[in-house]
Amino acid sequence: MNAFFAIVKKELRAITRERTILIAITIQLFIASFSSALLIGLLSFYDPEALAANTRPNLRIGIIGNTNSPLNLYLRNARMRVTAFDSAAEAEAAFHNRALDLILYVPDDDPRSAVEMKMFLPRSEMLSSFIMIFLREPLKRYENFLRRERGVTVNYTDLGGSPATTFEFLYSVIVPMLMFFPAFVAGSMVIDSLSEELETHTFETLWSAPLSLTMIFGAKIFAALVVAVIQIALWLALLRLNRIDIQNLGWVFVLATLTAAINIVLSAFTATSLRDRERSQFLYSLFIVIMASASYVVDFAPMQLITRLATGDYYSGGWDVAKYALVLAVLMPVLFRAARRLITV
Amino acid sequence: MFLVIGVLAVAFGFISTTHTYTVGEGLYRVGISPGAPHVRDARFVFTVADALTGQALLQARALDLYIDGTRVFARDDAKSQYALGAIKRVLDKYEVARVNSEFEIGNAFPLRIEVNYLTPAGDVAPDLAATLPAAGATDPAPAALGEPATRATDADVRKQIEGDTTLPELKSGTDKQIIVPSLTTPPNPFGQVILAFLYILPVFFVSVFFTSGFMDEKMNRRLTILLSAPITPLQIILGKMLPYVLFALAGVVGMALVTQVDPGLALIIFAPAVLFIFGIYLMVPMLYRTFKDTTFISMLATSVTTAYLIFPAMFSGISDLAYMSPVTLAVKMYRAETFGAQEYLFATVPLLLIFALSLYVGTRVLNEEYLMGYRPLFRKIADAIYLILNRAHVNASILALSLMLIPIVYIAQLVALAISLNLPMRVAVGVMLLIAASIEEIAKSIGIIVLHEHGYVRSTRHVFALAFLSALGFLVGEKALLFVSVSAVAQSNLAGALFNTGLLPVPLAAHFVFTSIVSVLVVRFRWRYAFALLAAVLVHSAYNALLVGGIQ
Repeated sequence: MNAFFAIVKKELRAITRERTILIAITIQLFIASFSSALLIGLLSFYDPEALAANTRPNLRIGIIGNTNSPLNLYLRNARMRVTAFDSAAEAEAAFHNRALDLILYVPDDDPRSAVEMKMFLPRSEMLSSFIMIFLREPLKRYENFLRRERGVTVNYTDLGGSPATTFEFLYSVIVPMLMFFPAFVAGSMVIDSLSEELETHTFETLWSAPLSLTMIFGAKIFAALVVAVIQIALWLALLRLNRIDIQNLGWVFVLATLTAAINIVLSAFTATSLRDRERSQFLYSLFIVIMASASYVVDFAPMQLITRLATGDYYSGGWDVAKYALVLAVLMPVLFRAARRLITV
Repeated sequence: MFLVIGVLAVAFGFISTTHTYTVGEGLYRVGISPGAPHVRDARFVFTVADALTGQALLQARALDLYIDGTRVFARDDAKSQYALGAIKRVLDKYEVARVNSEFEIGNAFPLRIEVNYLTPAGDVAPDLAATLPAAGATDPAPAALGEPATRATDADVRKQIEGDTTLPELKSGTDKQIIVPSLTTPPNPFGQVILAFLYILPVFFVSVFFTSGFMDEKMNRRLTILLSAPITPLQIILGKMLPYVLFALAGVVGMALVTQVDPGLALIIFAPAVLFIFGIYLMVPMLYRTFKDTTFISMLATSVTTAYLIFPAMFSGISDLAYMSPVTLAVKMYRAETFGAQEYLFATVPLLLIFALSLYVGTRVLNEEYLMGYRPLFRKIADAIYLILNRAHVNASILALSLMLIPIVYIAQLVALAISLNLPMRVAVGVMLLIAASIEEIAKSIGIIVLHEHGYVRSTRHVFALAFLSALGFLVGEKALLFVSVSAVAQSNLAGALFNTGLLPVPLAAHFVFTSIVSVLVVRFRWRYAFALLAAVLVHSAYNALLVGGIQ
C-alpha cells in the first residue's frame, strides 16, 4: 500500500511542480466567469423584463396626434416621461434640442379599424434597439387594451414571476460546466501521464518494481481523482460564496466525483490501447464534444441530473446518482483486465 | 481520421440547424388541468392533473406551477417564481397564435407601428410633419364593428405572422418598418452565434494535429534534419501549416454549403479567423516542453481564442464594438444583412496582425537550441523575446517590440477583465486597474530587461533612451488602435471603458516614466524584476486612479 501512495504522491507532486494545474484552474475560472458574468449580463440585455427590473431609464416621449389615449397611462406606469405636443413641428424641435428621446404619433382610436401609429426614433442602431426593448411592454399593454375594445380577450396577461433567463443559464449551463470541467481536466491528465510513460518506456521500469499493474493504474487514477475532487469542492465553495444556492449539495458532489472517476477510467483505457498521446488526446476530446452535445438530447445524461439535483427537483435523488456508481463498478474491473492484456502483449 | 472530423463537423452542423438549442431542458415541472392549453417547450415537463391533485402537488413542491384553465398558480419560492416568469413568455406566444386563428386580422392585431428614423438637426432630415396624415383626412370607409376595415399594413402583419413570430430586427436602413408589439421579439443573436461557432470548432481539432505534428518532430529529432536542409524557417512553418489550413478552409466551405449561405462570403469572413487560430497554435509548440504542458497550454489557447471570437459577437446590434470579432460578420451574414469594408477591416486586421506576428516569432525561434531546451516557462518566453529582437538594431527592435505586443496586451487585458468580474464591483475596478497596469508594464519593459541580461545595455542613459522608445512604440500602437476603432466604429463608448484607451489617454511622458522606473531599478540598482515591476505598477495604478477620479 505504501508503494500505491508513493505513486500517488509522485503524480501529485509532478502536477504541482509544473504549475500546470494552476493553468487548468485559471482556464476553468476564466470560462466560467466569461460565460456567466458576461453572457448573463448580455442575455438580460435581450430580456426586456430583466432589463426593466434592473434599470429604469426615464425615457422622454413626445406624443402628437391623439394626446389622450390610454397609451399615455401605460407609458407612465413604465416610468416614462410623457409630454403632449400640439404640432409635429414643436415635437421635432424638442427632439432636436435633446429634450425628447423619441416621438410617437397616435391616431384617434376607431374600433372599426386597426390603429396605425408612427414612431420616430434617433438614427442609431444601439439607441433605437434599447428604446424598442423598453417600449415593448407598454405597447403590448396598449395593444391588449385595443383588442379588448374589439371584443378579443387575451388570457394570461397579468402573470407575475421573475425573469428566468439568468436562473436557467446558471443552473443548466454554469453549474454543470463547473461540476464537469474537473472531470475533463483529470481525464486528459491521466492520458498524458500514462502515454508519456508508455511512449518513453518508463512504464516497464515502474512495473518491474514490486508493483502490480492494478496498483500502478489504481494509483494514477486515484491521483487524478484527488485533483478533480479538490476542484469540485473548490467550485462548490465558490458558488456558495457567490450566494448561489445548490440543493442536494451532497448528491451533486457525489455525482460530479463519480462522473470524474468514470471519465478517468475511460481515459486510462484509451491511453493504454492507443499508446500514442496525440491520437488518445484527439479521440478523447472528440469523445467529450460528442458527450457534451449528446447530453442536451438525452434525458438521463449527468448534465441534466446535476441541474435537477441543484435546483431541488422533487423526483431526482440518490437513486439516480447510484446508477453512476453502478457504471463505475462495472467499468473498473473491465479496464484492469483489458489493460493487463494490452500491456503484456 | 480527417474524414471522421469532416463527417462529424457536417453532422454537428446538421444537428444544430434541426435541433433548436434550448438552455434548461426539463428544468421545470408543470401540472395542467385537463382543459388547459397544451403548450410545448423543452424547458417544461408537463403532467396532467385535476385541480385538487395539482394544488397538492404544487404545495408539496413536486410541481413548480399548476395551470388551471386560464389561471396559473405558483408558490412564493424562487424556483416557482422563475417558472412562472418563464411560462409567461410561452403562454404569450400561445395566446398570439390563438388570437390569430380565432379573429379577423384587424381585431387580432389592432396596433401597427411604423418606425421612422430622425437624423440629428442640421442634416437633411425627412420632414416629420410630411410623413403624418393630413389633419381632417378621412380614413377608408368605416365598416361595421366586428368586421374591421382593411388596412394597408395588413400585408405586413401577415408577413410577420407567417414568419413564425421571429421578426426582422430593427435596421437603421432607410426602409420603413411596421412593428406589431405582440409579434416583436428583441434581437437575440444567440442562435447565429452558436452557428458561427460551429465554423470555428473543427478548426480547433485540425490545429491539434498541427501542434502535435510539431511536437512529434521535436521528439523524434527530425526537426534537426529539417533545419539543416536548405530551406528557410518560414518555408518550414508555412509548409507544415498549409495542409491543415486548407483542410480548415474546406471545412468552412462545407459548413457554408450545409447551412445554405454563400461559401465565398463565408470564406472571406472566416479565413482571417482560421489564420488567427493557427497563429496562436503555432506559439503552443514553441513554448511547451512536456506532454502535460501541451495539453494545458493548448487548452488555455483554445479558451482565450474562443472567448475573443465569440464574446463580442453576442453584442451584435447592441454595440458596434461587436465588430471586434468576425463572428459578428457571420451573424450579419445569417441575418442576410450587409456590412461594409470598414467593419470587415476592423474585425479582421487585428487577427491578421497577430497571425503575422506569430509567423515572425516562429521563424525567429525555430532553432534546435531553443526548441529542445527544457527551461521554466518564463525563461522560455524571455529567450523567445531575445531571439525576436534584432541585435544589430537594438533601439529599433525595442520600438517595434512594444508596438507588436499591443494585440497581445489587449487580449490579456480582456481575459483579466473577465476574471475580475467575479469580484464585487468596487474591488473589481481596483483589481482591473492593477492588472491592466501590470500587463502594460511587463509588455514595455520585458525587451529592455532581456537585452540587459545579454549585455546589450551600455549605460543608464541608454536605459532611458530604450525606455523612451518602448513607451513611444506602445503609445503609437495604442493610439493607432484607438484611431481605428473610433473611425471605423461610430459609438465605441464601450471600447474606452474596456480597454482604457479612450478613458485613460496616458500621455507619452507617463509611459516613459513607468518604463524607466522598471528598467533603471533592474539595470542600475540591481533590483529583482518582480520588485521593480511592482514599483512601476504601483505608480502607474496611482496615476490611473487619479485620472479616473479626475474624469468623474
